[in-house]
Amino acid sequence: MAKHKNVLPGFNLSLGYTLLYLSLIVLIPLSAAFLKTTELSLAEFWQVVTAPRVVASYKLTFGASLIGAVLNAIFGLLTAWVLTRYTFPGKKLVDALVDLPFALPTAVAGIALTAVYASNGWIGSILEPHGIKVAFTPLGVVVALTFIGLPFVVRTVQPVLEDLEAETEEAAASLGANRWQTFSRVILPALWPALLTGFALAFARAIGEYGSVIFIAGNMPMVSEITPLIIITKLEQYDYAGATAVAVVMLVISFILLFAINGLQWWSNHRISASR
Amino acid sequence: MSIEIRNITKDFGSFQALKNISLDVPSGELVALLGPSGCGKTTLLRIIAGLETPDSGNILFHGSNATERDVREREVGFVFQHYALFRHMSVFENVAFGLRVRPKATRPSDAEISKRVHKLLELVQLDWLADRYPPQLSGGQRQRIALARALAVEPKVLLLDEPFGALDAKVRKDLRRWLRRLHDELHITSVFVTHDQEEALEVADRIVVMNHGQVEQIGSPQEVYDAPASPFVYQFLGNVNLFHSRVNEGRAQIGGIELQLDAHQETKDSPAFAYVRPHDIEVLKEADGEHAFEATVNYIHAIGPLVRLELQRADNPELIEAELTRERFRELSLTEGQSVFIRPRNVRVFLNQVA
Amino acid sequence: MSATIVSQLHSYNKKVARSRATSEPAWVRWSLIAVSLLFLSLFLFIPLAAVFTEALRKGFGAYIAALVDPDALSAIKLTVIAAAISLPLNLVFGVAAAWAIAKFDFRGKSILITLIDLPFAVSPVIAGLIYVLIFGMQGWFGEWLIDHDHKVIFAIPGIVLATIFVTFPFIARELIPLMQAQGKEEEEAGLVLGANGWQILWRITLPNIKWGLLYGVILTNARAMGEFGAVSVVSGHIRGLTNTMPLHVEILYNEYNYAAAFAVASLLAFLALLTLALKSFIEWQASRDVIIDEQIEE
Repeated sequence: MAKHKNVLPGFNLSLGYTLLYLSLIVLIPLSAAFLKTTELSLAEFWQVVTAPRVVASYKLTFGASLIGAVLNAIFGLLTAWVLTRYTFPGKKLVDALVDLPFALPTAVAGIALTAVYASNGWIGSILEPHGIKVAFTPLGVVVALTFIGLPFVVRTVQPVLEDLEAETEEAAASLGANRWQTFSRVILPALWPALLTGFALAFARAIGEYGSVIFIAGNMPMVSEITPLIIITKLEQYDYAGATAVAVVMLVISFILLFAINGLQWWSNHRISASR
Repeated sequence: MSIEIRNITKDFGSFQALKNISLDVPSGELVALLGPSGCGKTTLLRIIAGLETPDSGNILFHGSNATERDVREREVGFVFQHYALFRHMSVFENVAFGLRVRPKATRPSDAEISKRVHKLLELVQLDWLADRYPPQLSGGQRQRIALARALAVEPKVLLLDEPFGALDAKVRKDLRRWLRRLHDELHITSVFVTHDQEEALEVADRIVVMNHGQVEQIGSPQEVYDAPASPFVYQFLGNVNLFHSRVNEGRAQIGGIELQLDAHQETKDSPAFAYVRPHDIEVLKEADGEHAFEATVNYIHAIGPLVRLELQRADNPELIEAELTRERFRELSLTEGQSVFIRPRNVRVFLNQVA
Repeated sequence: MSATIVSQLHSYNKKVARSRATSEPAWVRWSLIAVSLLFLSLFLFIPLAAVFTEALRKGFGAYIAALVDPDALSAIKLTVIAAAISLPLNLVFGVAAAWAIAKFDFRGKSILITLIDLPFAVSPVIAGLIYVLIFGMQGWFGEWLIDHDHKVIFAIPGIVLATIFVTFPFIARELIPLMQAQGKEEEEAGLVLGANGWQILWRITLPNIKWGLLYGVILTNARAMGEFGAVSVVSGHIRGLTNTMPLHVEILYNEYNYAAAFAVASLLAFLALLTLALKSFIEWQASRDVIIDEQIEE
């Protein structure tokens, strides 16, 4: 596999171990999912993955993930901007806490969000009189998926924003652009790849999310039941083939997203290095 | 220890880095591998060190074949372009590293290591920096520590990759002389890579000029400067004027004058290039029969010990650069826009192979 | 005289205008900060505060009682065991993968990097499912395991496997770009000076990547201890035996024992905060090293 010999030792050992471990932990188990579906005929497979309850769960999962990711793109960009451009008391603490959804166990996030957004919770009790119910509705799913995707956009946009040279903005200003024109025509185009990457990462993470959602969702079939929960339900009924069929649909979508994200990141790096 | 390089070739994918290179480095010499970036000089140095494996050919150390020998057994010292100091180790530990990693049987005692490291640090005049860390050193200091580290293992051959490349002009000049003196003291066979002709001319006993993976010329600094073997060497070492010319039976036509050549007696009317160094352009106020041609003085740069003239030929738009001493310049009392006559000396003619 | 003052004033005004041109008016600045903080409060700060408030709702005594409950203690123990096994395994893998990818050129490298990322893209639920398909009762090795009286699913090995899977890429992903950026000159220098492979790894490479390594370890540990979905599928929720801390939280919560659920959750939240603090510390340390480097370069 080596293109030309490199004198550093350990290539065969390290690559061999990497491939072995990767195969044992990831590749072989994942292929088991695809093999398992072959137990179903195509018609059976199609029937399982297009059952009304399953389709309703796709709509909820993808819809709520999309809304969460859009919210994160908007407010994540804003947060990244505020954290790189301005100073305010407690900024360092806020900056560190942005990563909380990465570090906080999803089950903890789930019960905490439920407690806050339930009709007797701190925020839920304020919203309830206005006719807005969050916990145990699809809106709750959006809240949970926004929470777990929150750091992605901030953390992909922030470094790009930090690296932007003040000179380009000064140049825009010296050419007569006002602040908004400078932002929309000079800064935003430079942020696009990172913003899109962060959005895609948040979206991909949200699709597979389970722990934080099931507490707040209410899990009503056809209404607030996410796809990962469908898989669990089928497993608990010992419907392994059915669970796997739905899993395969999700896996394929996730893989497509992963490749898209890698492509985006390549594009974004490529643009940065080309401009240097 | 002498180094012999025999028919070395090396490809990186479709890129031919080295094409059948052969050369000898006699014991105790300081040799420069000189060439533009991408000419293969660093690859050759890394092959000598054993950091890169040649596709074919052999490296002989002191007559014995070292091609298959592991880097660790080659007894070479290597100074990397960016020094590659271990950034988490003190200067002392950096220099001591090569001794500390030896197998127990041949490893010197701690006291012995300490003695040797301090001796080396004294040699590079940086003993006072022993406890510092690489990020705390200046570029020139890092360079000398890298050298001390390479010398600690008592190498038979010292290899330096662009040793002064990352330094600013002033430090570079000082270190250059210092390296030369150090070499005169230690007499260890050394090869260094550079793209800076001035550096090679000043420091090396011998220069190997490389281009496109091939050796263009090997010789003393004097030889390669005064008698370049190819148009490339001519252009790469110092400024040069190029004239389009035609050669016929040992006579060359340049700008309306005819020169008698020693070589090319058999050549029948073929295109050629003639090379003349700026200081070999004689400027005259009067025509000199058939040996000079007319030109106009475009610009005069009279800064420094030499006066540089930019001249335009009368018969075509080509520009010629000439260098005069201040005395000569005063004698001629030239002004811009003046018409003069030009007589080239020491003309080297190379046939235009492509045409 | 007055003309020079006017021109000085003019240039001064221009300077101010310039710095103003690359910033926003104060009211815009503060409203942007306010909107951002409001968003973060709704989704981060308030829920985090709720964890600790709910945990202490029934007083400190009940809080402690929930933590020293035997089932809680055994959940803590299992969580620590799962992390303690998966962490070193993924650490060795991360270093090996980063060594091969960063120091060598080979075909298919970018495919390998994408494959290492795969577990990021897989839903935790599916991560659990695939091990059930292999080691479960109806799985590939199901019968063999029953015959030999081994248990993987609904037992500790399954929990460890699921944990390894979900934390698989963390350390490798942290190390690969770092080691690629550092290049291989220092390793080659070690080689020329006579060091062997292990000496190079221990004395040169590992000290150089220590912050990245620690960073990856901390993230891996946080995820390993907090994993819910994948572990939930393979655990079987047997109290006192196969329950990890997050699963214990779920059980208590579903039994409407909210104070106890939040008490255990607060422990996990504290772990998360500790992780973030360590992470900030490491970033500060690493950036300090870089700053010193850059100052000297100049």
